[in-house]
Amino acid sequence: MKARQNGRGSNDAPHGCANDSLSGRLLAKLMPLNPRASGTEGGMTVVSARSSEWVRPVTQQDPASAIIEIDRVSQVFQTSARKDHVALSDISLTIEEGAFVSILGPSGCGKSTLLYIVGGFVSPTSGAARMKGQAITGPGPDRGPVFQEFALFPWKTVLGNVMYGPRQQGVRAAEAEAQSRALIEMVGLKGYENFYPKELSGGMKQRVALARTLAYHPEVLLMDEPFGALDAHTRTRLQNDLLNIWERDRKTVLFVTHSVDEAVFLSDKVVMMSKSPGRIRQVIDIDLPRPRRRNELLLDPRYQKYVVDIERMFDESDQAGAPA
Amino acid sequence: MSAAGMTKRAAPVLACIGLLVVWQVASLALKNDSFPTAIGAMRAIPDILGDKESLINILASLRRMAMGFGAAVLVSIPLGLLMGRSAAVAAFFNPLLMVIYPVPKAALMPIIMLWLGVGDITKTLVIFLGVSLPVIYHSFEGAKAVEEKMLWSGAAMGLSPVQRLVRIVLPAALPEILTGCRTGLVLALITMITSEMIARQSGAGNILFNALDMGQYETVFAMIIIVGAMGICLDAIFERVRARLVRWSEPQFDMPLSFS
Ligand SMILES: Nc1ncnc2c1ncn2[C@@H]1O[C@H](COP(=O)(O)OP(=O)(O)OP(=O)(O)O)[C@@H](O)[C@H]1O
Ligand SMILES: [Mg+2]
Repeated sequence: MKARQNGRGSNDAPHGCANDSLSGRLLAKLMPLNPRASGTEGGMTVVSARSSEWVRPVTQQDPASAIIEIDRVSQVFQTSARKDHVALSDISLTIEEGAFVSILGPSGCGKSTLLYIVGGFVSPTSGAARMKGQAITGPGPDRGPVFQEFALFPWKTVLGNVMYGPRQQGVRAAEAEAQSRALIEMVGLKGYENFYPKELSGGMKQRVALARTLAYHPEVLLMDEPFGALDAHTRTRLQNDLLNIWERDRKTVLFVTHSVDEAVFLSDKVVMMSKSPGRIRQVIDIDLPRPRRRNELLLDPRYQKYVVDIERMFDESDQAGAPA
Repeated sequence: MSAAGMTKRAAPVLACIGLLVVWQVASLALKNDSFPTAIGAMRAIPDILGDKESLINILASLRRMAMGFGAAVLVSIPLGLLMGRSAAVAAFFNPLLMVIYPVPKAALMPIIMLWLGVGDITKTLVIFLGVSLPVIYHSFEGAKAVEEKMLWSGAAMGLSPVQRLVRIVLPAALPEILTGCRTGLVLALITMITSEMIARQSGAGNILFNALDMGQYETVFAMIIIVGAMGICLDAIFERVRARLVRWSEPQFDMPLSFS
């Protein structure tokens, strides 16, 4: 109980920086709208526009320019039945620096695969992903993944796991430990510093995984259903914490989720995917004011409309994906 | 301590005493020269351990065993881990190991003796060969089973491939590696005695087989007890170290096992 109150207390601090996030919002408004927002039909023209850019990879470097560009990426897996399985087909997506982008889609549509490609863990069958204009050839500390499977180091305690990244980056032990303890408290695990992963519940492991990645300050967070295993209460709390961190640090976040609520609540942009093969169906800009407060937003008719519209689209894309 | 705890502690001691009683009764009943009584054999133990030459022999055995085991572990763990993480390395070494695996290492001794003589090097090499295979095999299996996402997490933190092998694959596979080492330790003891049986010159095996030739059966049985006790002690010490190193992976049996 105490830990939670402490957590809230420290979370209030970022609201003092409202000016920062306001200017961030202004910048976001000034940014050219993504033409893809008009839907799949319009997508064709966008692709050709992109491909000309692909020939000339020097991109304009505005302060709020694209940080990640995914350029006509396809991923084909060889299945054990010796058949090619198209997991991703011709995905193009641009993510602006500091944006919070969610990827939403039915199970198996290739959300994780797309995230792995941006992370540099998987190289796409065709197409390319770029970070700040540089082709992504492998993983790096500028892109921090939070995996669906947690992937904690079982031989390290909670504290050892969270300290691992900063220590690897050469942060002094005392400093890394202090930062890590603060992060552990933030994710609500104060008192569990010396527990081993096998002694934690699924939801607790997921929170450690989040803290471990935040600890080494990646520029881009790649989160694969990070709140999937949490109870509703903790989930809401961590969503708020994540938003606070994001509003303070303006990290770019690529966030995979199954939950329409969550996607609308958190994101600047929601990317709807459809299945078999995995395609981008639509990109929806979420034009809701920030900082967002859950209790206000739930009553906001604009929020409700986004949720209802996207849920309907989700159902359609699930059906559309079913036969093929 | 509870009554259950007491019985658990006393059980191995009682089992040993029971075994000795059966032995004593059986040898008294059979009255065979080559089957001395338990008490007779036990009485010979202080004689052996009190004899300087015997002690030098036993220590020489232990030294060879330690060197063979140590060298095998140092070579086999990295090799096994590399095989587990690299298909190319595995493809190269797998056929080789498949050929060596079923051959009793002691059967290679005549050839090795021919090349390297009957000294320490030959015996240490045989122990090395005996220990290597289980350690390689378990390291290989352990490294293969390491979760990919764990390595990806490490790569994202900036660990190089070598660092990932040492700082992620090695600790993650440690429980499996140590299981292999435990098997290897027992095999080291077995190959140690076998090698000294073939190339008699020094060692615990030498004392044992010399006594056999001379019909000193009490010494033979005493040596068997000494070697057995050495094995049990080494295994117990190793098990303690192992349990301490991989506490993070052990399931916790707070509840009694259903069949205990
Ligand atoms: N290594 C692989 N080998 C073969 N097929 C794969 C591999 N990884 C993923 N796939 C296939 O690619 C498709 C997309 O998988 P992916 O894990 O990206 O889906 P997802 O959208 O993350 O699903 P979920 O929401 O259930 O996590 C699936 O159909 C899966 O079967
Ligand atoms: Mg997934």
